[in-house]
Amino acid sequence: MVSQSLIEFKGTKDGLIIKIKEHQDFQNIKSALIAQFEKAGNFFTGAKLLDIECPYINEEERLELKTLVMEKYDLSFIEVVEEPKDQIFDGLKEGMTKFHNGTLRSGQVLFYEGNLVIFGDVNPGAVVKANGNIIVLGSLRGIAHAGANGNIQAIVSAHVLNPTQLRIADIIARSPDEKIPDSVNPEVAKVKNKSVYVESNYNKGKKKGER
Amino acid sequence: MGKVIVITSGKGGVGKTTATANIGTALAKLGKKVVVVDADIGLRNLDVVLGLENRIVYDIVDVVEGVCRLRQALIKDKKHPGLHLLPAAQTKDKNAIALEQMKTLIDELKEHFDYVVIDCPAGIEQGFKNAIVGADEAIVVSTPEVSAVRDADRIIGLLEAAEIHDPKLIINRLRYDMVKRGDMMNTEDMLDILAIDLLGVVPDDENIVISTNRGDPVVNQDESFAGTSFRNIARRIDGEDVPFEEYKVENGIMERLRSFFKINSN
Repeated sequence: MVSQSLIEFKGTKDGLIIKIKEHQDFQNIKSALIAQFEKAGNFFTGAKLLDIECPYINEEERLELKTLVMEKYDLSFIEVVEEPKDQIFDGLKEGMTKFHNGTLRSGQVLFYEGNLVIFGDVNPGAVVKANGNIIVLGSLRGIAHAGANGNIQAIVSAHVLNPTQLRIADIIARSPDEKIPDSVNPEVAKVKNKSVYVESNYNKGKKKGER
Repeated sequence: MGKVIVITSGKGGVGKTTATANIGTALAKLGKKVVVVDADIGLRNLDVVLGLENRIVYDIVDVVEGVCRLRQALIKDKKHPGLHLLPAAQTKDKNAIALEQMKTLIDELKEHFDYVVIDCPAGIEQGFKNAIVGADEAIVVSTPEVSAVRDADRIIGLLEAAEIHDPKLIINRLRYDMVKRGDMMNTEDMLDILAIDLLGVVPDDENIVISTNRGDPVVNQDESFAGTSFRNIARRIDGEDVPFEEYKVENGIMERLRSFFKINSN
């Protein structure tokens, strides 16, 4: 006789999770599961099955169990798109950083989960995307998306900051339609009051000194 | 139900994108609801020529893949409220869209617009096939060069094979002074080989380069020759009977005309 505690049902707001806690023969697991469902009667009918958690069975067996409970006991299975609850990147001051050597040309995309430093230019049509800050030691003329998974504190900085489009978190700013002269000093773009502002790197240093 | 027109050429660099931008804009000037579609995935240009590059958030591949809705990807023109752009993706390639997907997309656009103008990529591969799949009519652009005419001829054959009949010809970048000297193929030579109806002749005009770099189609300039040609082409597409423009050439009168207009505008 298979012990009761082999199978545990867990309800979450997204659906039902079936946990198989002990290492057992697959057939045993299967019959235990059937037994549990038989005992419960109509209780689970129409419930949404989220997952079967068991480290001891392989994918095929997992699928077999899923189809079994779905067909026999009328559960609907909801496919959860693997969305690893994206934690907003918080290493803006100190954290994972990638250094990229070289120019990004039209059509090229560079993404990194942390901060991104580019030694080179970002040409129009190229996209740089990072969950943290983006620093371009060169000209930024393409599209830059900093704080890509939601950190609105992220900044974009470049020696020549003249992007087609700037995105920080979910805020999008586009370049003005009139031609603007390239700045002489490096500039920083950041979000204030839900809009993207561009300021010179130099003044910022001075202000600090004044305080 | 709108009309779907594909602008194609076979050869690259003969002015498909310029023609698309200008015809689209000119049709919008006539008060039509127009969408120009950039089918050149991976090498998009139409957005740049229209000056709308900085507005692109979603593109045609995003629409097809269901990342966004069609409306979200459509970009409204700066000057003409009736003109919209569906941009291509720059970071993908031509195989990102399948024929059926393109067909569905174009059919949907057709319901909302009077004209759907598709900018076809150069070549005869997947990109070309995608561009023509939903088209009702075709416009073939060619310059007065043997190589361009050869490619245009091939394209006309392929269009016929794809059941798109009676394509129209636009001769682009014609230099009347050179034709007069006998150094360039003339309109008759080209029509002789290609044997299709002529839709218009666009003279070689430096305003095209200026307007392309500025992201402002040349049809927006009243005084330019190329702009006039494209405006007339649009009127012909719309069913009007517009006589072909004639430019008399006598010892570089193009230059003289140009200076005449300059004096006038002062």
